[in-house]
Amino acid sequence: MSVVRFRSLEAKLALRLAALYVAATALAVAALIYQAYETADTLNDRELSLRAADLARYVAVDSTGAARLELPPELAARYQAAGNTDIFAVRRGSGAVLAASSPNFGEVAAKWPAGTDDPSYFHLKDFGSEGREYYGLTVVQSSAAGPLSVSVARAADADILVHSMLREFVLDMGWIIPLLVIATLVVGALAIRSAFKPVAEVSQMAAAIGPGATSIRLPEANLPSEIIPLVAAVNRALDRLEQGFDLQRQFTANAAHELRTPLAIVTAALDTVDGNGEIAKIKADVARMNRLVDQLLRVARLDTVALDVSDRLDLNDVAADIVATMAPWSLARKKTIAFHGDDKPVVIKGNRYAVGDAIRNLVENAVAHTAPGSEVTVCTHANGSIGIADRGPGIPPEQRDQVFERFWRGKGTGSAGAGLGLAIVAEIMKAHQGSVSVDDNPDGGMVFTLRFGRAMSLRNEKSPAAAAGPSE
Amino acid sequence: MRLLIVEDETRIAELVQGALARAGFAVDAVALCADARAALAVTSYDAAIVDLGLPDGDGLSLLGELRAKGNRTPVLVLTARDAVEDRVRGLDTGADDYLVKPFAISELIARTKALLRRPGGALGMTLKAGNISFDTVERDVRIGGASLVLPRRESAILEHLMRRLGRVVPKPVFEEKLYGLDDEHGSNPIPVHVHHLRRKLLDAGATAEIHTVRGVGYLLTESST
Repeated sequence: MSVVRFRSLEAKLALRLAALYVAATALAVAALIYQAYETADTLNDRELSLRAADLARYVAVDSTGAARLELPPELAARYQAAGNTDIFAVRRGSGAVLAASSPNFGEVAAKWPAGTDDPSYFHLKDFGSEGREYYGLTVVQSSAAGPLSVSVARAADADILVHSMLREFVLDMGWIIPLLVIATLVVGALAIRSAFKPVAEVSQMAAAIGPGATSIRLPEANLPSEIIPLVAAVNRALDRLEQGFDLQRQFTANAAHELRTPLAIVTAALDTVDGNGEIAKIKADVARMNRLVDQLLRVARLDTVALDVSDRLDLNDVAADIVATMAPWSLARKKTIAFHGDDKPVVIKGNRYAVGDAIRNLVENAVAHTAPGSEVTVCTHANGSIGIADRGPGIPPEQRDQVFERFWRGKGTGSAGAGLGLAIVAEIMKAHQGSVSVDDNPDGGMVFTLRFGRAMSLRNEKSPAAAAGPSE
Repeated sequence: MRLLIVEDETRIAELVQGALARAGFAVDAVALCADARAALAVTSYDAAIVDLGLPDGDGLSLLGELRAKGNRTPVLVLTARDAVEDRVRGLDTGADDYLVKPFAISELIARTKALLRRPGGALGMTLKAGNISFDTVERDVRIGGASLVLPRRESAILEHLMRRLGRVVPKPVFEEKLYGLDDEHGSNPIPVHVHHLRRKLLDAGATAEIHTVRGVGYLLTESST
């Protein structure tokens, strides 16, 4: 048997409050009705006793010594007016009936035992010519003619007013109580919802926390006080995690840094040895290791140091610079690089060195993958973007998202890269709130495009790269 | 030609010293700032190679002191720090070039020679690239010993390319140097001069070649074998 469990505080509260309300109102109404009937009965009793005493008071003994009931005219008139609603019988002990409201009640009462000081109750069903139902009592009252048994009764339907009032009251409550329950539940739900609104906001902030953003802490302001201990504990846990991350990053940076000197020694020593074959292979291996260490260091630095991206720089300038420094390296691999700058300076906000690194990594990647004898082109555009196009074998569409992951390397490319270059590019673009994407080059191969925010328009700034223009 | 190496890592100092010696330089190696100061005070070096992290001080402050004294010795900075601030600071303090560790010795030698090829540098008088030699005083260009007569602009282009052998000379640099001083009218654009120069070098059997980096500039490389 499955039990539905409500995980939502709102639903839990609503359900339990609803149950409580139903139980509480049922109890209250029941108690009220009981009390009302009880009160009505007591009043009835009291009235009957008073009437019995009244009747006894008006019993007088005449000159012959016979006892007679002499009701004052107004009282007699009242009994008359009530018809058979109120009936009575007065007897001497258990004997003869002195007086009765109607002869048949007298006959009935005559058969009863004498009353006592404590009232004894009776119930007549289907009595009289109208067949009504009567409740009454018999009690002993002293009178001028000595102790008398007085029986008084009232028709049950005379209480109809009280009963209908009670019924009406129950119906009224029946209307109001469900309304009250619903109103309370709605108010409760709204209160919970508004109290938890800051919690939803905090959840959104928490969603942004990742290895690259460990410095975020959840704000405790405006939170329900019940939640604050949890948030504070989470924040303390984040502190400890951040320390761990910092240690990890610091370790990577230090390890890479410490590896440089021995690598420099090996590199330098190898340079002094001439020879092909194994030596050339070892040189290539060491070069690859140098590159890996260099990139690890760059990644570690991007992770630890927040990049200052507030500089203004001309993409034409930076790209021309990178192309110039990389051209000899590329030419040595029998591949050429060309630069097509936009006619006007493409000024963006960013970090000159980081943007340069991103372009350099993409150019390295393009040169590594382009066919010998072909050209890698770097183009800047007025919209603040820069494209690096190669004529290589391309990347299958399903792998294009993965290429920006750390340590990703194309299958079977046999490239000597560490698999960090494109990840570094993605990190740099993220820090610039820009993007990097990879698409098919219409001329064959791939185009990597770096998009920065909108380029600023600076008409009067002259850049050397823009002045270079197309060549022969 | 005499060079000074300031490097505390003895293995690196040793290897660099050996390689530069084989390349034909006389090399002194010291490990401390204090020793470097002493050496620079008594000897006139043609260039210095300075490591930034030294046991008794910072290579950058040594460089600052040197420049403050008016010493113009070309300085190549070696650094394991490649943080951008360091690069900028190094060049601001008066370093002429920098190399990030780990580096290839061949790169170090090439950069050192480039420093020496600058105007006023020890190699600045006669530039060499492959079998091309260029006497910058006599304006005499020889390919494998045979004299090659070049028009003034073409020889100026060749000089710049040879001074920055193996590195790209941006086209704006040519424009500035070639057209800054005399008439701008009636002269051919740079690409035409480069085109003529390239043809002449090829015809004369030069073992160095001019490459075009479209959109950026030109570079001269020595032909491999």
